[in-house]
Amino acid sequence: MISSYTLGIYPRSEELIEATRKHTSNLSSLFQKETKGYITQQKKAKLGYVSDPLLRWDDIFRPFSQLKSVKPAALNRIYEMNTFYRKLSFENGIATSGKIIKSNLAMSLLPKNRAVCMPEPYTFADRHLSSKHKNKDEFVLELAKMLHKEAVTLVKAGFKLIQLVGPSIAYNNKIDFNLVKEGLDILTRGVKAKTILHFYFGDVSKKIDKLLDLPVSGLGFDTTTTPISAIKKHSFSGKSLTIGLVNSYTTKIENKNKSISEINQIVSKTRPREVFVSTNFDLEYIPKKFANEKILVLGEIARGVKDV
Amino acid sequence: MSKLFPTQEIGSLKKPSWLLKSVKSPDISNKEKIKARNNAALENIKALEDLGLDIVYDGEVRRVEMYEEPVRYIEGFEFAGRIRSWDNKYYNKARIIGPVNYKKNFYKNEFKFVKENTKKEIKVPVTGAYTLADWSYNEYYKSKEELVIALAKKVLRPLIKDLVKLGAKIVQIDEPAGTSHPSEMDIFRESINESVKGINAKIVVHACFSGNDYKVLAPQMSEIKVQQYTLEFANRDTWNLGSSDKARKGFQVLKLFKEHGFKGEIGIGVTDVHVNDIESPELVRDRILYASKALGDPTKIYVNPDCGLRTRTRTVAFNKIKSLVQGAELARQKLK
Repeated sequence: MISSYTLGIYPRSEELIEATRKHTSNLSSLFQKETKGYITQQKKAKLGYVSDPLLRWDDIFRPFSQLKSVKPAALNRIYEMNTFYRKLSFENGIATSGKIIKSNLAMSLLPKNRAVCMPEPYTFADRHLSSKHKNKDEFVLELAKMLHKEAVTLVKAGFKLIQLVGPSIAYNNKIDFNLVKEGLDILTRGVKAKTILHFYFGDVSKKIDKLLDLPVSGLGFDTTTTPISAIKKHSFSGKSLTIGLVNSYTTKIENKNKSISEINQIVSKTRPREVFVSTNFDLEYIPKKFANEKILVLGEIARGVKDV
Repeated sequence: MSKLFPTQEIGSLKKPSWLLKSVKSPDISNKEKIKARNNAALENIKALEDLGLDIVYDGEVRRVEMYEEPVRYIEGFEFAGRIRSWDNKYYNKARIIGPVNYKKNFYKNEFKFVKENTKKEIKVPVTGAYTLADWSYNEYYKSKEELVIALAKKVLRPLIKDLVKLGAKIVQIDEPAGTSHPSEMDIFRESINESVKGINAKIVVHACFSGNDYKVLAPQMSEIKVQQYTLEFANRDTWNLGSSDKARKGFQVLKLFKEHGFKGEIGIGVTDVHVNDIESPELVRDRILYASKALGDPTKIYVNPDCGLRTRTRTVAFNKIKSLVQGAELARQKLK
């Protein structure tokens, strides 16, 4: 058996979408009920780490629009998806108490084995605007400081695993790895939790050597964009490895035995310190009924894999 | 069209609230619902005519939405559930579970109605093969390319042929996903070319909000067999008056189209469909004049909003169109 978790934002149910649209009087209790339902589903699936489904989050960056120095700007496509996020414009220095993420989570509903998701600094800067910072480097490093404060607060609140999502590292062809590293170094320094950097929306096959140098506990891969064959070529000794093979971009449910066999093969070749299986990215790209099925199969796959 | 800068809409308008009440009411008979839809279509056609547009349609008032409506009538699709577009805006996403096939002309009645009720030129919008594929879960065809080409040959081509048989002279293929995957531009090109093979009508392609500024479209434009592209520019432009490069930064890519030898028409988006502020006629004029110069031939410029205006209230939408029409007239006077 290996550990497991899901990543990012979950889908709202039809009922919740309609209630949100109409601002019904029971909206708040409905959010709570649905959040509780998804947490129960993760527990039922016996996932190693349980996450808030982030149902109130309109995109992974949106809670940061609550900062005084930030103004929401135009809608933009999320990489090549048919979903849009709102760009945030940082118009002053970033003043934060580091409690933005925590205050947007259903803390009382989460069990002790809790995980949380946040964007890594390079991706954050890549997708947003700043009129205050002189250049991208400065913006990345300021964001890293902001995210570090968030991480410290979250660790104090009992989070054992922090998922750092880095789709821009996967999607962009040209990456300043020194900058990525510097940002992550600031973010993760002294943070007493596992920090796993996830890549999706692009193939990182040719970047893995450089990624293994980054100051995080582990790396996570979307196996629909980065082929398993490329991951297998590398040694992960000293690093954790998350295999994101439960696909949030198809309603087809994964074949459990095939997935278990694939993970066993990857593990035997890469020899990581610890292995996780996860979704490849946010479950919100499939409707709720399929998301619930995927959570269960994720748990089954994790339980079927040989111990590392 | 003989006059300079013909004006047109892209497609959708917000449905009148009285129509939504009627069609959702269990107490209203089917016959009355049909009548309500006809009245709403008529209201839109007349409103667009009265505002002075040269080319009109019915605001897509009978369609649920640009993706869900056609998918309901194409064999091989099955709805999976709603998926977020942005914030709390969702669309009903389908999966492909078998071979795709055209069953019937699902736009026949609306097209005939528009034709019978206007003397203006008509541009009928249809959702393109690439977008239908991109917005669905492909769980049947081996590759996206195979699915896209099947939709182009087996659905889009017969649909457009049927519309042309009924008298359609201008068909707009809506492809909001068209330029969103830079590595798939060859598939996109072939999907349009297969969709329009053997069709005798003016073909327009509408693409918008790709996030890559049409730079990936520019090299393909001359290879795609269409006469006009209606594209989004206002969203990326400034609100300052004038025809300088700085003021008109949203329209810079037109120069690239010219560099790539594109000689067709461009329907320029002069109205941002995501904000309620109304562009002044003078701003519209300056955008048109800049675009004419950048493309090098004013006779190739058509004028339209960036996209359908269904996300705006009807009052805002109509005010934007009014300003667009006035701005086009100011631009014509300037070039006299």
